[in-house]
Amino acid sequence: MKLALLGFVFRRVRNNLWQLLWTHLLTAGTVAMTLYIFGGFVFLEINLRQLLKGWGDQIQITAYLNKSVGEKEVQSLVKRIEAFPEVERVRHTSQEQAWRDFKIALGSQSGLLDGLPREVLPASLEISIKSAHRDGPVVEQLAQRLKQEKEIAIIEYPQDWIERLGLIVLGIEWAKWIFGGVLFMATYFIIASTVKLGMLARQDEIEILQLVGASEDLIQAPFVLEGVIQGVVGATISLALLWVTYQILLRSELPSLGGFLTPLGQIQFLDLTSMGLLLAIGWLLGAAGSLFSLRRFIRTWNASRGQL
Amino acid sequence: MIQLFHVSKTFPPNYRALTDIDLEINKGEFVFLAGPSGAGKSTLLKLLFRQEEPSEGQILIDGKNVTRLASRGVARLRQKIGLVFQECKLLANLTVLENVALPADVAGMSKKESRTKAYQLLRELGLKEHYDSKPLSLSGGERQLVAIARALVNDPMLVLADEPTGNLDADIADETMRLLFKIRDKGTTIVVATHDLNMINRYGTRVVLLQRGALADDLRLASRQESSK
Repeated sequence: MKLALLGFVFRRVRNNLWQLLWTHLLTAGTVAMTLYIFGGFVFLEINLRQLLKGWGDQIQITAYLNKSVGEKEVQSLVKRIEAFPEVERVRHTSQEQAWRDFKIALGSQSGLLDGLPREVLPASLEISIKSAHRDGPVVEQLAQRLKQEKEIAIIEYPQDWIERLGLIVLGIEWAKWIFGGVLFMATYFIIASTVKLGMLARQDEIEILQLVGASEDLIQAPFVLEGVIQGVVGATISLALLWVTYQILLRSELPSLGGFLTPLGQIQFLDLTSMGLLLAIGWLLGAAGSLFSLRRFIRTWNASRGQL
Repeated sequence: MIQLFHVSKTFPPNYRALTDIDLEINKGEFVFLAGPSGAGKSTLLKLLFRQEEPSEGQILIDGKNVTRLASRGVARLRQKIGLVFQECKLLANLTVLENVALPADVAGMSKKESRTKAYQLLRELGLKEHYDSKPLSLSGGERQLVAIARALVNDPMLVLADEPTGNLDADIADETMRLLFKIRDKGTTIVVATHDLNMINRYGTRVVLLQRGALADDLRLASRQESSK
């Protein structure tokens, strides 16, 4: 398209947006609300994934040793376990160390331990797992292999919680697309209706443009551009609203849930990819809504008034 | 310039608007398409600027077959034709200058160039004071002059006018017709559809008479315009 024609298209878009300003603003507002809700799910998903990752970093298997296991056997066991490909490191806690740690943990209540033999607490191995092997099945398999070691009496690992949180994240991801999908469809039709309103309001203009030799592309381009502008403006507003929400959350005291959220640290805003996704969805909704409306309108127009 | 070979047009379900029209109009000719209402004058004009496709026959404009054209081809054809209608068809939200410049804008002329050209035309037609006004603030005659200016902005090879004086007072109608003859004198072919026999008698050069969709007569009169030269 020639530069002069682009200028003509932009002038028409400017005039048209001004002419139906409130309709366009309402549509952009609808796009903004839709993408705000969708973006909210993305925000939640990103932060829960972060939480899951933080928990993953803390995943370790605790292997409690039989009381009869001697120091040499422990060293040999540690070396064997460290040789496993999934294992990052192994830390040995002796019975003596376990006793001291427990006493410190009890603090002022440590007197309760008086009179108890120091061997009451078993020695243990804390086995950290490499990040690449922290998903459910691998941890489970490793635990089964460790159980076969005769020096190990009991194995403990937080598998249930990790699986549950993983399911929650998966649920949020599904909800994001299901809710988002319904909202996108609604927004798509709202944009299509706005564009149709615009075309109905400008029927005379369309007719005159075609009579003076405007090509089909030149007549349609401003309408498509208007749809795209509505979508992108809506997406930008939604990002601004999400940012405001994020700032409010940052300033408010989130409950720690007894250390449950500790790995989360500070909540995160949407990453660049997610922001790009919201803008792209806004752009796509605007373009698709206006093109859909245009095609239908032109089909009816051609049938009733001859060639456009 | 314009050649029609056995052109017919039937509208669904079965309304025959034009039947077997053979017609040739030379470059620089001024032709009245005359006939009563429903004779097929407007349909013939619509075939020429391709708002309608003929059901049968061939139409050549400037040697190019325009019978079957894709939408891009229709747009290109219309950029070479100036159209004037009884109801002016001006855009109320644009100024007079913007209305006149519109065909140049859609043809890809720069904004500056199209505005300069439109202003020149308005000056020639005595409308330069109104360049920034909206069409609704003008009289009927002035609006029609603006529509003619718009038809001329792309230096068309052909001007098609459908009842251009239908809504105008006799004096203004006269002025409009004189303007169209002036345009013809510069080499542009003009085809005017009208049912106003008085006007044809006053100006009639060549008169193509249509009746019930058929070519009834093709007269070449000596017009007052031509005889007064």
